Amino acid sequence: MLTDEKLSTATSGFALAAGITALVNTALSCAKDAYAPFKDFLKSLTDHDWTTQGLIDLALFAALGLIFTTTRVGDKIHPSRLIAGLVGAVVVAGLGLAGWFALV
Amino acid sequence: MKISASDLILLAHAGCGATGCLAAIWVFVEALNATPGNAVRLQRVALAVAVCMSAAWICGGYWYVHFYPAEKDLILHGPWPFAHNFFMETKEHLFFVTAILALLLPIAAREKVYSNPAARKLVLSVAGLVAVAGLAVEGAGAVIDHGVKVALLQHAY
Repeated sequence: MLTDEKLSTATSGFALAAGITALVNTALSCAKDAYAPFKDFLKSLTDHDWTTQGLIDLALFAALGLIFTTTRVGDKIHPSRLIAGLVGAVVVAGLGLAGWFALV
Repeated sequence: MKISASDLILLAHAGCGATGCLAAIWVFVEALNATPGNAVRLQRVALAVAVCMSAAWICGGYWYVHFYPAEKDLILHGPWPFAHNFFMETKEHLFFVTAILALLLPIAAREKVYSNPAARKLVLSVAGLVAVAGLAVEGAGAVIDHGVKVALLQHAY
């Protein structure tokens, strides 16, 4: 039954975009917590820094997903590596957030 | 009995999030047992995960921006300030990752999961991550809620 071992261009593109977005989200969270003027800047865009960050994440995921799909970047990465990279990125992003707010 | 709009929004947030977690576990089980017969159901439940998590994002975001500051103040002056400093701070940012993964799930579920091992592995991974991260966020919500409760109770006795 199991025969094909390739992801579609859109799936691999958006999976890659999700991994990058998870890491960028953690970086943004730490940056705005560490540097108040950056948090104020994000707040000035939508009245709340959390709202701005969410919109940035959403826009980044959609934009990167479409770019990677169009340029077929995800096709160049073996599916196993892509999946391992996505899981690794999410774990690092999650532990990074927990570690940052536990220690800082 | 009086139930305010903020209570309804908060309960809708938690309810949509919990339903999204349950739907992600459902997708995980469907992918474990993927056949041509359950392909459409798997795709529909994956879409339900994205819809539930998006609804949880909108309800939770509205409540967080408009109603949370008063509770934050209570928590920070109560015996459990870590309910905000650690649990809310981590939750409000980890949720974005959960939501993005939930949006990825229906895209991945469009693949022939029953005949494509890579697609099956991706759907299992994403559904599993959504369920685990979503439940962690739900748990953090309970700690935050208790942070408010102990802050209020300290003045009651």
